[in-house]
Parts: sequence; structure tokens; C-alpha cells
Amino acid sequence: MTTPFLILSGLFFAYAVYIATRCARSFGRPEDFLDGAREIPSWATIFAGTGVVVAGLGLPDHILLTSLYGLQYSHVAVGLVLVGLCGALVQKRIWLAARITGLGTIGDLMGEYFGSVALRLYLLAILFLFTIPFAAYGLGEIGQLVEAATGGSLRAGLVIWVTAFFLFLYAVIGGWRAVVYVVAGQSFLVLTLILFTGGFAGITFDGLALFTKGIATPAGILADQIPGVIQFTDGIGKQLPTGGLWTTVAILSFALSLIGIVLSPGFGFLGITSQTRKGFAFEQVWMTGGIAAGALLLIAPVIAAEIAAAAPAGLAGTPAAFAGLVARLGSMDQLLGIGLLMLLVAALQIGIAFFASSGASIVTIELVARYVLPELSPAGRKLAARIALAAIFAAIALTASFAPLSATVFSSLALSLAAQLLPAFLGLCWLPWVSRSAVLAGLVIGIIIVVFTEPFGLILFEGLFLDLPWGRWPLTIHSAGWGLVFNVAACLLVSLFTRGGEERDHRQRLHDEFEAGQRAEPGGRAIRTARWSLTLIWAFLALGPGAILGNSFFSRPIFTGGNVALGMPSLLVWQIFFWLIGVLILWWLAYRGRLSVIDALPQHRLALGSPRSPLQRLPTPGWIARWLGRVAER
Amino acid sequence: MSPLTKTQALDRHALVMAIWLALGLVAVMLFDYGSDGGGWIATLSAFGAVLAAFIGHIIVNAVYDTGFSRRELALGLVIYAGALVACGLAALLVPGFGARNFLPLSLGFGGLFAAVVFYMITHFGVRRSFEAFDVIGDFGTDGPDRNSRQERR
Repeated sequence: MTTPFLILSGLFFAYAVYIATRCARSFGRPEDFLDGAREIPSWATIFAGTGVVVAGLGLPDHILLTSLYGLQYSHVAVGLVLVGLCGALVQKRIWLAARITGLGTIGDLMGEYFGSVALRLYLLAILFLFTIPFAAYGLGEIGQLVEAATGGSLRAGLVIWVTAFFLFLYAVIGGWRAVVYVVAGQSFLVLTLILFTGGFAGITFDGLALFTKGIATPAGILADQIPGVIQFTDGIGKQLPTGGLWTTVAILSFALSLIGIVLSPGFGFLGITSQTRKGFAFEQVWMTGGIAAGALLLIAPVIAAEIAAAAPAGLAGTPAAFAGLVARLGSMDQLLGIGLLMLLVAALQIGIAFFASSGASIVTIELVARYVLPELSPAGRKLAARIALAAIFAAIALTASFAPLSATVFSSLALSLAAQLLPAFLGLCWLPWVSRSAVLAGLVIGIIIVVFTEPFGLILFEGLFLDLPWGRWPLTIHSAGWGLVFNVAACLLVSLFTRGGEERDHRQRLHDEFEAGQRAEPGGRAIRTARWSLTLIWAFLALGPGAILGNSFFSRPIFTGGNVALGMPSLLVWQIFFWLIGVLILWWLAYRGRLSVIDALPQHRLALGSPRSPLQRLPTPGWIARWLGRVAER
Repeated sequence: MSPLTKTQALDRHALVMAIWLALGLVAVMLFDYGSDGGGWIATLSAFGAVLAAFIGHIIVNAVYDTGFSRRELALGLVIYAGALVACGLAALLVPGFGARNFLPLSLGFGGLFAAVVFYMITHFGVRRSFEAFDVIGDFGTDGPDRNSRQERR
């Protein structure tokens, strides 16, 4: 299996380098290297955006967790509808704001809109979390997967460095546009292969394990039921929840963490650099909410059940568990086994290439060109971006090879901390009364709570001081959920006292521009209220506490007094039912509610910088200038 | 059919490559499985994947208001001819290959050819489609006849 896998991987990298070379030849201007001239085509945004959402969730991890926890975890896939909804809320307005103001990154937009250096630095910190530990975690997983599937003939360390080198190679040749093209191509490949693998297994395997035996979860875990609305446990590492971890509040709060993908600086950069006017709605409704969520709901449990049936007990839940299914497919035909391996590897490569490349571009625009070397020429910026790419890929490969535990610990923070930006995004896009103080107060509280409900804070605090009475995700609530509750509460409270004044007038200018250029939402207030009420009801039943009804709703309906033989678990039917309704609601909001439809290109140019903003008074903060002075003068 | 800008041409090319990358891999896997003993359904499914990619390519052409480029036509013809020759050689040289695969392969290659002909007829019309392949008609027409044919086109 090793040789054909190497040949296919080589062909893929040849394709990527070819696309990158074509991009480099077609676009001579150095500025294009950084942001693709902000003309990334709609189709690339659609596929790449969907692929990045799936990569953010982690396709191999999703399948492994489904094989470990069964349908109670698989329910998280319905949360992709929530991700699409979050995209519908923010992506269009971020794109408009970038066009209206001429700013090129989320950090720039947030920094100028709120007049806050702290917010800009926080976004850079989030960017680094995605760019290095998150990508390194994925790269390490590729190494483990390939080593396990090839029976150790390709060592994980070698795979990590070779993969990092080739991903770097095409990114450094073609820049941002090439990366988006290749990521979009890979996303289409992942989509095709996941549909193919599921369909092939369904046709050729002698009875799918999901429908004959169910998902063989470890003892004590309910494979086809949600184990409760909430469980009053101390958290992972302190106390095991009965029946499994994934209660309805765990599912809802985990789904909330997934919106961190959409709110991440890299995803925002993809949106800003798109030329799209119609692509956002299609990506959010049909691709993310529709096809990606549907594929994960319908096909991931099939693959997970086969893995659980074949994996040795000690390997359950680890990347090595895939080796059994790869070998089984390989025994039918080598290329089929390799196809599954390529699916998993491609899903991980999407995240690595995307976050590393967006990280290099954003660092160059926001840090190097703004603070460190403001006089840099376009050619110099291109060189800086290339150096940043080299440094980032080296850091990713080093972390994946030598500090995999650190990569795991830090990457677990990325989504939850990015999700804490929700109030800031809502403020920028919809709510001018959300003030800088409110956003910062909420963020500080949210960060503290996230850190202390994730391994990083727990390990650090318990290592230095004393044991905390709670572990990871206490009361089966994900850290993003804990953080967001307190974050939003603090933000609302502070906004009550700081919602007016000169700063508000400054922020209002952007919202006036939003309103001026867009057609009014059809239907009026009543329709709008109905739409959002329906969304909340859907969220309650699909992801929230109401999802517990799905355990038996279809197999033991209360009106018949008897059991119904469905041929599949009631929970799976519930998931499919609410996924379909969710897509319908998402369509209603994104298209009919005009949340994602851009009616007219913005005409105005608005200098967003506030006269009171420290960013306007001092282009380079004093501490950076002093530090640079010390380094440069010696 | 207006000429594409450099950016549009690259966008189209990357999209076409993405389609063939994904569906081509599936087709190769199915073809390999079908020829190894997966049966005629797998082989025909492989041709189905190729046909899906071809249809995707045509949709891309329609979106960008273009036709197939010369390079794409040449590459397609070379791959089609190469695959035909390879299958012919395999049928001759690999024991049992022809017996297992002759019918599905013939159907597949024939189906692809029919799809291309159908596309050409619906896209260009019968006359222009025929003239595109009418090499014999071009012999000895260096004079006014050839020019009038060109004008008619």
C-alpha cells in the first residue's frame, strides 16, 4: 500500500505546485501574493469555506469520537447549521465593512471600529493559536494516520516534515490565491470521497455495522441515545459522566464553539478577499448547513461503526483505529484503502495549509507592514510574507514532531477563544451600542473562564498552586459555552452604561453605510420576529435541551402505546429531521431574510479611524518602537 | 463567447482541475476495483464518474461562456486513445482480463463517445460537428472551395 499511496500523494502535490505556478505566472504584482487582489472567485470561496469548516471540526476526530461515543456525539454535526447561521450573521457585513473602509483584515476592522489595540492583539493571539498549535495538531495526526495505515513503513516524523515541506512549497510559490484554489480543490475531493466511501461501504459490505450491530461503544456509553439534558459532574479528569459525555448542553455548547471557525481571523480573511456577491449564501446554506452537515450526519456514523467494529480495544479513539478499515478496504482493492486514507489526510491538509497561509498574510499585513516596517515596498511585503510562511511551517512541523502534547493542549483553546469574539462581531455588524469597554470586559471574563475550563489553565494552575475542584468542561458544558455565557452577560451589563457618547457616533457611521447600501428586508417586523422565534425553537429542539426527546420520539411514540421498528435508532431520525428543518430555516434567513445576499456593491469610502483612537495618533505603539530601536541600534 | 481575462481564465482552469481531480480519483479507484474482480457495476460506475466530470466541465464552460480549449481537447483525446489502447493490450496480454471486462469496457468507452457526440451535436449542430471531423473533405481544397467552406462555418 505504501508505493501507490506515495504515487497518489506525489500526484496531488504535483497538481498543487502546478496550480501555484500558474498563479505566480498570471499575477505578477507583489500585492496579489498577500490577498489574491481581493478577487478570489465565488466557487473557490464556497468550496474552501466549507472545507475549512470541516477541517475546523476535524474530520478524523469527528469520526473517531463518533466511534467512541456513538450517535450522542454525532449529533454535533447538526451544529454545522449553527455555523452556517453564524456565517450568515457576520460574513456579508464584514465583507461590506472591508469594502466600505478599504481595510484588509478582521484585526484592522475590529481595531479601527472599536479603536482598540488590545482587540487587535487578541485577534493576533487567536490567529497564532490557529496558525501554529491547531495546524500542528492536524499535521501530527497526519503522521500518525499514515504510519498506522502503512504498517510503520512510513514513519510519522518523516511524513510530518515531507507534508509540511510540500504544503509550504505550493503556498510560497503561488501565495494566497493558489492556497485557496488548492484548498477548494481538496474540499471538493473530500466531499466526493466521503460520499463515495459511505456509498461504497453501503453497497459492498455485507451488512453495515451501524444497522446490524450499532456502534460498538465502550461499556457504559449509550451508543444511540443522548445521556441527559445536563449532568452535574465535576468535568473530564475529575468525574466520568454516566452514559457518556454528550448531554444536550454539551452538544449545544460544543456547537457554539464551532462558530469559532467562522469568527477566526483566517476565515474572515477568506471572506474579505473574496469577490463574491452570491457565494456567501450558497456556502452557508447549501454547502455548510446542507451537504457538509448531511455528510457528517449520514456517512460519518457508517464509517465510525465499521471502525468501532474492527478496532482493537486499546486503539479505540486513536488515529491508529483507522488502520483496520483502511486494511479492510485495501483487501478488496488497494486503491480503495488509499482512497480512505487520502480522504482523511486531505481533510487535515486543508486546515494546515489554510491557517498557515492566512496566518502569514495577516501577520505581514497587520504586524510587519503596520508596526515593524511601515515603509516596506510591495515587493518587500511579498518577501516578508514568504519569510513568514517559512517560519510558520517550520514552527508547525517542529511543534508536531517534538511537542505534540503542547499542540493538543493549545489547539483545544483555539475554537473556544475565537468564539468569545461573538459580541465584538455582532457589535461590528449589527449593534452599534456595543462599546469597546463592553467588548473588552466580556472578552477578559470569557478568556479567563475558557482557560480555566480547558486543560491549559487546569494544568498550569494545578501545577503551580493547588488542585481545582472542577476538571475540563464541568457540568458537561463545553468551555466555549461557559465563556460565552459570562462574556455576553458582562458585555450587556457594561454596554448599558457605555452605549452612548462620541464613540457611539463614530461606530454609527459604519452602520449608516450598511443601511444605506442595502435593500430593506422584505416582510416587515412580524415576519422578522417569526423568523427568529422559529430559529430559537429549532435550536432548542435540534441542539438544546429539547434534543433529549429524540432518544425515543420515533421508536416509542407516546400516542401509539407501542414500539415502532424503524430499522435505525430514533435519535438518528431526529438528527436527520432537524438537520433538514435547519437547512430550511437557514435558507429563509440567508436568502429571504437577505442576511447573506449583497444587493449592491458599496460605493462609499469611509475612513473608520476615530480621532480619539490610539491607532490614529500613534501608528507604531511606543513599546514596539522602543524594542525595535534597541534591536536595530545594536 | 467573449474572451476571458487572465484572472477568469485561471479561475476556470482551477475549477476544471478541481472537478477532474476529485472525480478522476474516484473513477480510477472504481476502475481498478472493477478490473480486479469488483464486477461490471464498478467498471460502469467508473465511467459514470468520468461522465460526471465531463458534465461538470461542460457546466463550467457554460458558466464562463467558453468552450473546451485546444489543450483540453488534445489531452482528452490522448487520454481516451491511450486508455483504449491500454485496455486492448490488457485484454490481449493479461489472462482473464478480456473475459471479465470486455463488455463493461466496451459499453463504457462507447458511452463516453456517445456522450461527446451528443454534446457536440447539441452544442454545435449536426453540420458543424461533422465538419469538425471531416478531414477527407479538406483534401485538395486549397482554393476557393476551402475558403467558401470556412465562410460557411
